[in-house]
Amino acid sequence: MTAAGASNSYTIPVGPLHVALEEPMYFHFDIEGETVREVDIRAGHVHRGVEYLTTKRSIYQNVVLTERICSLCSNSHPEAFVMGCEQIAGLEIPERAAYLRVVAAEIKRVASHLFNLGILAHLTGYDTLFMHAMQVREIMQDVKETLFGNRMDIGAMCIGGVRFDLDAEMTAYLLAALDKLAPEVAALADMFRRNHTILRRSRGVGVLTKDQAIACATVGPVARACGLEYDVRVDAPYASYDRLKVDVPTLTDGDVWSRAMIRMSEIGVSIQLLRDCLRDLPVGPTRLPGRPDIPAGRAMGKCEAPRGELVYFLKTNGADEPERVKWRVPSFPNWDALRFMLRGSKIADIAIIVNSIDPCVSCTER
Amino acid sequence: MTRLPEDIHAQLAAAASGGIDYSSTTLHNAVTAWCELGNSSDLLSVGETLLRLGARLAMVSALQPPAPEEEEEEEEPDDGAEAESAKPKKEPPKTFGGTPLDGTSYEIDYHFVLGGDFLTVVAYVPSGGSICSLTPFFRSADWPEREIMENYSIVILNHPDPRRLFLDPSIDTAALERLIPYSTLVNAASTKALWDKVLAAKGGAS
Repeated sequence: MTAAGASNSYTIPVGPLHVALEEPMYFHFDIEGETVREVDIRAGHVHRGVEYLTTKRSIYQNVVLTERICSLCSNSHPEAFVMGCEQIAGLEIPERAAYLRVVAAEIKRVASHLFNLGILAHLTGYDTLFMHAMQVREIMQDVKETLFGNRMDIGAMCIGGVRFDLDAEMTAYLLAALDKLAPEVAALADMFRRNHTILRRSRGVGVLTKDQAIACATVGPVARACGLEYDVRVDAPYASYDRLKVDVPTLTDGDVWSRAMIRMSEIGVSIQLLRDCLRDLPVGPTRLPGRPDIPAGRAMGKCEAPRGELVYFLKTNGADEPERVKWRVPSFPNWDALRFMLRGSKIADIAIIVNSIDPCVSCTER
Repeated sequence: MTRLPEDIHAQLAAAASGGIDYSSTTLHNAVTAWCELGNSSDLLSVGETLLRLGARLAMVSALQPPAPEEEEEEEEPDDGAEAESAKPKKEPPKTFGGTPLDGTSYEIDYHFVLGGDFLTVVAYVPSGGSICSLTPFFRSADWPEREIMENYSIVILNHPDPRRLFLDPSIDTAALERLIPYSTLVNAASTKALWDKVLAAKGGAS
C-alpha cells in the first residue's frame, strides 16, 4: 500500500455493457488510487449504417426510418428530417399542424427526462425513488399509447404536417393527465432538491465548466447546466414555438445535480407548453393535401430534442432517394464533455456521471 | 444571443484568398447560409474567422456527389458565375473552385451554428486529395473527422488522433463508398454460385 505511485496507478476497463444504461459504450480509465486520471472512450458497438440506408430509401420511407434511429428521442429525428424536406420544397405546414408538432415533441420530452431522472435515482442506490419516477413517467407512457397508439415510436410526423389529430375527448384526457402529472413532478423535484442521498451523490460531482462546455460544443441540458443559454425552441423557433412562451432554465454549477435539475425544470416548462398548446390549438387541416414532391436542393433541419439540439443535413437531387442525409445527435458532442467531467472523479461515481449526459449510444453511432 | 453578423460575407471573403461563393436564405427569422470555398486550403483561415465570431462547429458531413446525368449539355447551369464554361463536351462539370464533379470528388460540409443561424462552409476535395483538420480551432471536429476518415478515402492532415471511431480496424476503409449487396454478403447472390461451391467441396461429383 505504501509503494511508489506506479503501483498505485492502474487501468480499468468499464463497459461496454452496463455503464449506467443497457447500451454499449466502452471506457478505458487510467486510475490512481480511486481517482480517475484519464479516460478513453471507444465507440462503435451498435453502429448499424443507418446513414447509408437513408440513401437507399425514398424520402417518404425515411420519415419512418429516421424514427427508428433512437427510441427516447424517436419523434425528434423525423421532425428535423421533415423540416429539411419542407425547406427544400418550400412548404409551410398548416397552423394546427404546427401546434400538434409541439404537443408530440413535449410529450416525448417529459417521458425522456423522467426516465433519465429515474436512472439517476437508481444509480445512487435509491431504488424506491427510481420506481416512483418510473411510475410518474407511466402517466406519459399511457398518454402516448392513448394518443398515438404506441408507447415509444409515435409516428406523429409527416412531410407537410402531422399524422394525428386531437378531438375534444383526447384533449380532455391529455389535460386530465397533465393535472395528474404536475403535482407528481413537483413532489419529485422536491425530493431531488432535499434528499440527502441524492444531494451527496450528485452535488459537486462530474463538474463541467462553462469554458469546457463551449470548447466541446455541448448542447441541451448539459450546456444549460453550465450557464449556456441555448435552446433551439427559442433561438431558431420552429413549429409554433415562436407563438408560445418557452422558458429556458439555466444553472451555473455544471455538476450532475444541476443537469438533473435542468431536466426537472424542463418537465415543468413542457407541461405548461402542452397546456398553452391545447388552449390555443387552432382549427383547420393537420397536414397539406397529397404527397408533396421534393425537388433537388439542400437544407438544414434543426430541432430541440430532449437531449438538446438535433441537426439534420439533407441533400436531394430530384430522385426519390435523397443524395445524402446526415445528422448529428445531441449526445455526439456531449460524449467529449464526459472526459472533462470524469477526470478527477471517483470510480464509484463513473456510472452517475455517464448517466448525467443522458447518453444515447444508438443515436450517436447510427 | 449572437447571430451571423451583417458583414459575414465580406469577412469570409477576406479570409479566403481562393474566393467564395456565398448564398443565404432566411426562414422564420433564422438564416441558413452556404459558403463554398474556391480553394479548400482556405478552410483553416475561414475556421479561424468563425472561431473569432463565436461560432460552434455543430456537424461535419462528407459526401461523394454523383456525376450529373448526361443530357442537357447545351445549358451548362453555371450558378457559380465562374469561368471554364465553354469546355469540350466530355468534360464533367466543375465546382466553383474547379474540382471536377465526376462522381469521384468529395464534398465536405462544415456546419457552423451561430445563435440560431446556420453557416455551412463547403470544401471540395478531388479524389486522392487531402484537407487539413479543423481540430486546432474546433475541438468538436475531432470525432466527425475520424468518422469521415473511416467512411471515405479522404486524407485529413494533422489530425491529433486518427484512430477508427466506430468501425473496427479490421474492416476495409472507405466503408460508405462500397456497396456490398446483402445477398452477396450472406453468400446467397446466386443459387448456382452456392451450388458450385458445394459441388467443388464434394470434389466435383454430382
